Amino acid sequence: MTFVKFVLHLVNQTLQIMKTRFLFPYWCRYLGYALVLAHIPVMLLRKMIGFDIPGNRIDNGLLSPHHLFFMTTTLLMAVGLFLAAFSKEKIEDEQISQLRLDSLQWAIYVNYILLIVSLILTSDTEHILFLNLLIPLVFFIIRFQWKIFQNNRLLKRDGDLR
Amino acid sequence: MKNTIRVERAIKNITQAELAELIGVSRQTINTIESNRYVPSTVLALKMARVFNKPVEEIFMLEEAD
Repeated sequence: MTFVKFVLHLVNQTLQIMKTRFLFPYWCRYLGYALVLAHIPVMLLRKMIGFDIPGNRIDNGLLSPHHLFFMTTTLLMAVGLFLAAFSKEKIEDEQISQLRLDSLQWAIYVNYILLIVSLILTSDTEHILFLNLLIPLVFFIIRFQWKIFQNNRLLKRDGDLR
Repeated sequence: MKNTIRVERAIKNITQAELAELIGVSRQTINTIESNRYVPSTVLALKMARVFNKPVEEIFMLEEAD
């Protein structure tokens, strides 16, 4: 019974969070960046050592060590980017949500243009999938933060700090 | 659309930061509205009008191009 209550409490809390525009709290951005950074050395280590020992046949089955490793590192990165992209700004107002929507539109455009181009030019589906995982979020983060940076710079230039 | 926020602020003698705090947005937002790079929502325009105690039309007005 207490367990059911606990689950209901969690669901309720999640719904509360989702009501505030589907965004994570501000600190989630740093958690997100940390996850993305943490994923880089692990990925490099894998590239250097590698599971693909020459001579051995590569085991690509479901839940093989190879697959598990790929899954966890990719998840680390994807969750990190997700958190970094969709956490709140310090001051959330209508201009920020406008910028967010604009940037999302750009990200989707860029993603689909690249997807179409890569579908025409290559047949390397694994890498296309991987790019598709990365590009919308990465492009979104860069574009969104760039716009915020521009606004901050303009504020410094001609905002009054009386 | 143009606006007279800068003038109104000078009359009322408040900074961008103070205005931002009064209507619950960031200083960046006030700055972009003042320099005509962002068009505020009706709600925000009405809030500003309330701060300056004037009708919205005296703060925001249409231009030829609109």
